[in-house]
Amino acid sequence: MRHPIRPRLSRAALAAPLLAAALLAGCATRPPASEPEELAEYRQNNDPAEPTNRRLFAVHQAIDKYALRPVAVGYRDAVPQPVRTGVRNVLGNLRTPVILANDMLQGEPRRAGDTLGRFVINSTLGVAGIFDVAERWFGVRGHSEDYGQTLARWGVGEGPYLFIPVLGPSNPRDLVGFGLGIVSDPLSWFGQGVVVDALVYGRGGITVVDTRESLINTIDDVNRTSLDPYSTLRSAYRQRRAAEISNSGEVGPAAATSTGFGVGTGMDQERR
Amino acid sequence: MYQLDRRALLGAALFLTAAGFAGPALAQADIGRASNFIQTTGQELVAAVNDKTRDVSARRQRVSAVLRRAVDVDGVGRFILGRWWRQASPQEQQDYLKLFEETLIRNLSARFGEYQGVRFSLGRTQQRTEDDVLVNTVIERPNTAPFSLDWRVAEIGGQPKIVDVIAEGTSLRLTQRSEYSSVIQRNNGSVAALLTAMRGQIQQLAQREQAR
Repeated sequence: MRHPIRPRLSRAALAAPLLAAALLAGCATRPPASEPEELAEYRQNNDPAEPTNRRLFAVHQAIDKYALRPVAVGYRDAVPQPVRTGVRNVLGNLRTPVILANDMLQGEPRRAGDTLGRFVINSTLGVAGIFDVAERWFGVRGHSEDYGQTLARWGVGEGPYLFIPVLGPSNPRDLVGFGLGIVSDPLSWFGQGVVVDALVYGRGGITVVDTRESLINTIDDVNRTSLDPYSTLRSAYRQRRAAEISNSGEVGPAAATSTGFGVGTGMDQERR
Repeated sequence: MYQLDRRALLGAALFLTAAGFAGPALAQADIGRASNFIQTTGQELVAAVNDKTRDVSARRQRVSAVLRRAVDVDGVGRFILGRWWRQASPQEQQDYLKLFEETLIRNLSARFGEYQGVRFSLGRTQQRTEDDVLVNTVIERPNTAPFSLDWRVAEIGGQPKIVDVIAEGTSLRLTQRSEYSSVIQRNNGSVAALLTAMRGQIQQLAQREQAR
């Protein structure tokens, strides 16, 4: 009897150890206990997969240099500032369901109220979210929340640092949060068909361009002035993420500007 | 004997209470001192950056004079080199401190263009932590939204000095420590490799400045 499944299984069985070997080859060696300072730094960096991460970072830098950044710069040069601000506001408004859900999951009624209020005001007075009326007229600033932050508040550890090409710095917990955000976003459920698919992918694409455009100066700065951009990004990202999770002060980027991936406009915001 | 003990106890209690009341008052004085210091330093820096009557290198000299007075360059430099400080030779240590100061000033002066017309103001919250004061400022540039910058001010040798700058939750000295340590580690623990990289960076910045 022919068993068509068996050949596929054996190929998979062969792939698994190869994959494991590849991953192991990309693991950093843990310093011995006889070097306490080195060990402390290793733990602090929390980056056991550093060689693999660095390779992925190199891939990302190439993609960024030849695809992402030119598109973002072109977008910035071709599209006038007010339109870009409008696009950013609309994208932020569309993120409201996820932000609201996470505000509530974290037990923050005041922030949830802010989010809901902003959504209502901006969607009506702000013409479908194009104008951030809630902040300009009512002084209610937006904030961003995502499932990664909620998981952190619930006590889930971050796991090792990971660098994902295009998505950027992350860790297992935040990746799960990212996935949850996509899956749970009600705006991706409505309807089927070509038009809906186009809208969903279009929104994803515009989000990528918008986010990259907001980061042009920051990332250029890092690439230009850092002696080791990989570790600068790792350190800055982890600190920023920790501050975001604790909702301390004004650190959280405005809802309109964050992808909920710990990436926001940061210091680089456009004219109001 | 019995009376002496009671008086001593009462005196100790009064002293402790007074110290307890003095605690918050001292913290307030520290915050006030640090805020004033940041206000003055910030205004000097802004004046130096916005001074259009001089060329870039003259402005850079002025900024570097302000920074040398206001920033604890040696302390911050040693913190950033971290555990590699002890593994560096005395000559390397001296070289490093000089190079560190130079990179600090050149990186700042490379930004003069984008900081033209900058204004700053003290923010709303200042906090006292264990060793230092965190002073919050808001930086405004034309055509960009304002952002907040926190300055960590510590008392070094009786003078307030800046020991850290925190931008949106990211401490610059922590980030740079990670960066330098990474460079040294990837060069098999050679501090000299870091010094070479720093020299290269200074040269690049100097060339770019002249090209402008």
